[in-house]
Amino acid sequence: MSGSIRKYLVVFFKEAVDNLRDRRTLLTVLVFGPLFGPLFYTVMMGTVINRQVADLDQSYSIAVQGAERAPGLMDYLRQHNLSVAKAPDDPREAVKTGELDVVLIIPAAYPAAFSAGRPAGVQLVFDNSRDSARKNVGRVRAVLDDYAHSLGALRLLGRGVDPRAVAPIVVEDQDVSTPQSRAVLLLGMMPYFLLFAAILGAFYLAIDTTAGERERGSLEPLLITAVARSTLVLGKLSAVSLFSAVSLSIDIAALLWCQRLIPAAKVGISVDFTPANALATLLVCLPFCVFIAGLLSVVASFTKSYKEAQTWLSLIMLVPLIPVLGLVMFPMEPTWWMMLLPSMSQDVLITELIKGEALEPLFVALSVMSTLICGLGLAGLTVWLYSRERILG
Amino acid sequence: MIEVTDLRKSFGPVQAVRGVDFVAPDGRITGLLGPNGAGKSTTLRIISTVLRPGAGTVKVDGVDVASDGNQARLRLGVLPHLSGLYPRLTARENIRYYGELNGLSGLALTRRMDELMELLEIGDFADRPAKGFSQGQKLKVALARAMVHGPRNLVLDEPSNGLDVMATRALRALIRKLRDTGHCVLFSSHVMQEVAALCDSIVIIARGRIVAQGTPDELRRQTGETDLEEAFVKLCGAELAA
Repeated sequence: MSGSIRKYLVVFFKEAVDNLRDRRTLLTVLVFGPLFGPLFYTVMMGTVINRQVADLDQSYSIAVQGAERAPGLMDYLRQHNLSVAKAPDDPREAVKTGELDVVLIIPAAYPAAFSAGRPAGVQLVFDNSRDSARKNVGRVRAVLDDYAHSLGALRLLGRGVDPRAVAPIVVEDQDVSTPQSRAVLLLGMMPYFLLFAAILGAFYLAIDTTAGERERGSLEPLLITAVARSTLVLGKLSAVSLFSAVSLSIDIAALLWCQRLIPAAKVGISVDFTPANALATLLVCLPFCVFIAGLLSVVASFTKSYKEAQTWLSLIMLVPLIPVLGLVMFPMEPTWWMMLLPSMSQDVLITELIKGEALEPLFVALSVMSTLICGLGLAGLTVWLYSRERILG
Repeated sequence: MIEVTDLRKSFGPVQAVRGVDFVAPDGRITGLLGPNGAGKSTTLRIISTVLRPGAGTVKVDGVDVASDGNQARLRLGVLPHLSGLYPRLTARENIRYYGELNGLSGLALTRRMDELMELLEIGDFADRPAKGFSQGQKLKVALARAMVHGPRNLVLDEPSNGLDVMATRALRALIRKLRDTGHCVLFSSHVMQEVAALCDSIVIIARGRIVAQGTPDELRRQTGETDLEEAFVKLCGAELAA
């Protein structure tokens, strides 16, 4: 028995060392697999957040035509951190070309109407089709609305009317999404990237230890050594699982680090991905590494060459990602049956962890058990494949 | 000693081996000779335990390959037709891996490896990755790998394929040396000259059956031909015509 364990370790270490010397495998496991997701995510999120959120602390210079006609309004704008600039001669053209986001026009009729207490028109020139201008347009409009409301209230008071009479209905916004659950929308892609890293980590090893062995002609001499086929296969699968887990760990660590780069707080999102949650994520996903090692190895065992294996695995590796993408498109409440599907169960649990919610112990147990059972089943299938004469092709 | 008794093997409807009997004794070089597709590789693969016999038995030093594969494998050193090395591992690591898989470790393994690397003159390239090895170098490492656990019986499937003249000579010298130290050497070839130059006894196989066996002299006498190649053609031709 101890002899089998020793031989198992010999196979495991040989495959690990051998594949550590392969530059393509190493780059995939250490760099491409784990870092693509977090980098992509950080850059995209940073851009989206910065565009969507008007930074109220920052002063914005608004171009105004006819500023001298409305000194009170100009003061109000300045008080709200909007500096007043002189508008170009053709404001419409300037907005059309994108030179300015928004121009405020005070018509010549404004002072007379204003003094007489009649509605005094002003014009706001903007291009509604331009997304990047929207936050500045909204900001100016909000300040103008405020000014109009407060003046109106003052005028009513001057006539002895309670301003509340013209506000029969007050709408109060109650957004029930907590900051964490809003984070889920943003972080929805994260489980996908994590599982993708685990798959890519296993990818080349699964090929090299099976189809690669056959293509090099090293499989037959290997099978003639005094090692049980099960020992051989388990040693190989363990090495594949390890590389998958390494890639996954780097991905989680990178994600943890990237959290600090994302100005999530600006949109009122608190991302609760603490080191403790990161560790929990890793533990929850480790059975998936075993599963994916088994799945890729079984498929690669049927192929005759490295190229053929690559073709098949590129297709097969998308299969575990189908439920993940499904949940992105059709979000559902977590239920127990989801825990029976490898990849879907990890997806649900990672999402909960990112939300900062406590995990249901039963769910975790179901996920770990079902994924490990599937993984061990695939390992058993691989052992069986290697016990057949036809493994030599 | 390798004893093959009434060995049969079919792949679907194809009968690759149809009743093969021979004995390859210790201290002798036995050549398995036959045209392409005669069943040589299948026979050797059954002996080396990667294929199971359809019927009949193979015993290596008295151990049945079908019922006790692991014990048989420990007594066998096999150089299969395809005998690839791990290109990213050095010669030494390639050999060590097989030593460990066959249960060797520590000082015993290191000593055995040194011994083999000296015997096969591997020293010069022992610590280079196998990627850039010549055919001759690859063969030496593959042989060392097959012999690292010190088996008494060697099975070589067309070992001289792809070797140049010098490497072939070195291989023959090595095979003779192994015979002289009491090993049982069984090797296959489809090249008459090679078998004639090397073998103490020849087993001729055609269409899955043994058509003749004996020393080169016995075969010549049996067919009445002075040239061994003519004898071979006559023996195989008779079988092919039948």
